[in-house]
Amino acid sequence: MNNVIIDGLSFALPLFIMAIGGIYSERSGVTNLALEGLQGFGAFTGALVAYMLMQFTSVDSSAVYYVALLFAMIGGMIFSLLHALLCVRFKANQVISGVVINILAMALTAFLTKVINRSVFGTPSDKFDLGVSARWTVPGLSKIPVLGAVFTNIYPFEVVILVLAFVAWYLLYKTRFGLHVRACGDNPHAVDAAGIDVAKVRVKAVMMSGALSGLAGISFAYSISAKFSSSIYVGYGYLAIAGLIFGNWKILPTLGACLLFGFAKSGGYQIVQNLGLPSSYSDLIMILPYVATLLLLMLFSKHNQAPRALGEIYDKGKR
Amino acid sequence: MQEKKKKGNLLVRFLGNEKYQFLTIPLFAILISLLVGAVVLLLLGKNPLDAYVNLLQGSGILPKAKYAGGKSMLTDFFSFMDCWTPMIFASLSVAVALKTGLFNIGVSGQMLAAGFITTITVGYSTLSAPIAKPLVILVAAVVGALVGGLIGFLKYRFNINEVVSSIMLNYIIEYVVGFFINTRYVNPISRQSQTVSSEARLTLSGTKIGDLKFDIPLGIILAVIVVIIVKYIFDRTVLGYELKAVGSNQKASRYAGIPVGKNMILAMMISGLLAGLAGASYYLGYYASIQPKVLSSTGFDAIAVAILGHSNPVGILGSSFLINIISKGSTYMSSSLGVDAEIASVITGLILLFAACDMYIRYRVDKAKENLDKKSERRESHE
Repeated sequence: MNNVIIDGLSFALPLFIMAIGGIYSERSGVTNLALEGLQGFGAFTGALVAYMLMQFTSVDSSAVYYVALLFAMIGGMIFSLLHALLCVRFKANQVISGVVINILAMALTAFLTKVINRSVFGTPSDKFDLGVSARWTVPGLSKIPVLGAVFTNIYPFEVVILVLAFVAWYLLYKTRFGLHVRACGDNPHAVDAAGIDVAKVRVKAVMMSGALSGLAGISFAYSISAKFSSSIYVGYGYLAIAGLIFGNWKILPTLGACLLFGFAKSGGYQIVQNLGLPSSYSDLIMILPYVATLLLLMLFSKHNQAPRALGEIYDKGKR
Repeated sequence: MQEKKKKGNLLVRFLGNEKYQFLTIPLFAILISLLVGAVVLLLLGKNPLDAYVNLLQGSGILPKAKYAGGKSMLTDFFSFMDCWTPMIFASLSVAVALKTGLFNIGVSGQMLAAGFITTITVGYSTLSAPIAKPLVILVAAVVGALVGGLIGFLKYRFNINEVVSSIMLNYIIEYVVGFFINTRYVNPISRQSQTVSSEARLTLSGTKIGDLKFDIPLGIILAVIVVIIVKYIFDRTVLGYELKAVGSNQKASRYAGIPVGKNMILAMMISGLLAGLAGASYYLGYYASIQPKVLSSTGFDAIAVAILGHSNPVGILGSSFLINIISKGSTYMSSSLGVDAEIASVITGLILLFAACDMYIRYRVDKAKENLDKKSERRESHE
C-alpha cells in the first residue's frame, strides 16, 4: 500500500505540473499538443547542464539537482517560444504546430545527445546518466498509518512542484494577469478592446507551459528513468493533456485526474508483483492509465466546456 | 544593390504566382530546410553536398561508387519503393482525416493493430499465395477501418477529442500487441515476432532476375490505384464533397443538411482503412515480422508528408517520395560520411516546421507582391 502511494505521487505530480502548463496555454486560446516535446527538450537541457557539472566540476550533487531543475525550466521555455512563434505570429494551425514541435524535439534531442556525447564527453552514447535523486522522509509525520506514506521517500521535485502549482493556481485565478489569460481564451476581442495585447498574453501563457513542462520532464528523468535518453518520450505529455481535458481545463479537478493516473499505474504494478506474475504482464499494466483515461473521458467529456476561442487564430478584423 | 533587388523581385514573382503556389511554396519550404540542414552539416565539418548526394545514392536514384554482389542501382530503387509503399498509404490516411477537419495521429497504432491481426490470422496460415495475398489486404483494411471508426465514434458519441483518443489507443495497442508477441509469437533469436509465410507477404523478397536480387513490392501498384481512387472520391463524388464540407465548416454543413456525425465516423473509417493497408505493406511487406513495443515512425512522418502535400493525393505522391529519400537514404549517408543517421529526422522535422508556416510564407509573399505592384505602377505613372 505504501509503495502504491509513494510511486503514484512521484508519477502524478510531474504530470500535474505539466497539465497546469497546458491549462495556461489552452486557457489563453492556444491548443498545446507540444507538451510532450517541451518536457523532452526541457529534460534534455536540464540533464545536459547537470551532466556537465558532474563531469567537469565537483559541485555538490544536490546543488546540481536544483541547477538541473532550473535549466530544464529555461530550456522548456525557450523551446516553447517556437510554438508561440508559429501559433501567434505565423498563424499556423495550432494542432499541426504542436505535433511538428514534438517530432522536432524528438529528432533534435536524440541527434544533439549523440553529437554532444561524442564531441564533448568523448563517449559514443545516446544518453546522459543522471541517477536517482536523494529522497526525503519527514520524521514523525511518516509514522502515521497509511497517510504517512505521503511523507515517506519524497523526491525533492515533488515539493518544488507543489509550491509552483500553488503559485500557478494563485496567478491564474487571483491576479490580473490570470484574468487576462482566461479572457484571451474565451473572448480575445473583448481583451483587445480593453487595450491589452492578446498576442503578448498568449506568448506568456505558452512560455509558462514550456517552463512547467520542462520541470516535469527533468522530474521524470531524475526519478523513473534515472537518465536522459529518447525513452523520455513515452507519451506522458499526451497523458497530461488528457488529464487537463478530463479536469475540464481547471487546476483542482486536473490534480484529481493526474492522481488517478498515478495510482492506476502504481497500483497495477503492485498487483502484478503481489500475484507473482511474470514481468511480461507488466506490459498489460502499462495500459491501465490509458484505458482509465478513455473510460473516464467517455463518462465526462460530454459536459466538458473547452475555452471558447481555443485553437482559433486571433484575427483583429474578425467579428 | 540593384542586382540583389532584382533577384528578390524574381523570387516574389515566382512564389507569388497563385496558379502554381500549391507547388512553389512547399518547394520553397523544402529548400529552406535543406539549407538549414546544410548549415548543420557544415558545422559538423561535413560537406552538405556529399551528404545530399549520398541520400539519393542510398535511395537508388543516383549510382553508388560500388555495389555488393546481387545489388545495383535498380535493386536499390526497388527496395526504396518497398519502403515508400506504406508511407503513401499512411499519408493518404492522414490526408483523408485532415480534409474532414480531423487529425488522425493514431496512424501508427492502426498500422500495428492491422499488421498484428493480419500476421496471426493470415501470415501464420498455410494458405497459398493467390488466396493469402488478397486476404492480407482485406483483413488489414477491415481491422484498420474498425480502429479508425472507433475513434470517430468516440468523437461523435462522447465528444472525445480524436487526438487524445487516438494517442491513448496508440499506447494501448502498442502494449497489448507487445504483450501477445512476447508471450506467444516471439522468435527468441531476433526478439521479434516469427516471420510471416512468403505466400502471405506482399513483397516478393529476393527474387532473382539475372544476377540481381530484387525485392519487388506488389503493394506499390495498389498504392497508386488507391491514390487515384481517393482523388476521385474527393473530386467527383457526393461523399467526397460532404467530407470536405464538414472539414471546412461544420455549422454550415449541418445547416445544409449534411449529417456531420456520420461523415466524421465515415472519414475516420476510411482513414483507418488506409492506415490498415499501410500496416499490411509495412509489417507483411517491407518487413515480415513485428518488433514488439515499438510504434513505427511511418505514421508520424506521414503527418509531415500529408501537410507538405497539402492533403492532395497527387501532392502526397510527390512529398512522400521526397521524405522517403531522406529517411531511406540516411543509412547509406551515415555509413559513407560518418554522420549520425539522426540528422535525417532533424531535416524531416525542419521541413515540417517550414511547411507548417506555409500560410505565413504565402501571406508575406502576397504582401511583398502588392508592394512590388504598387511600385511598378508608380514608376509607370512617372513615365
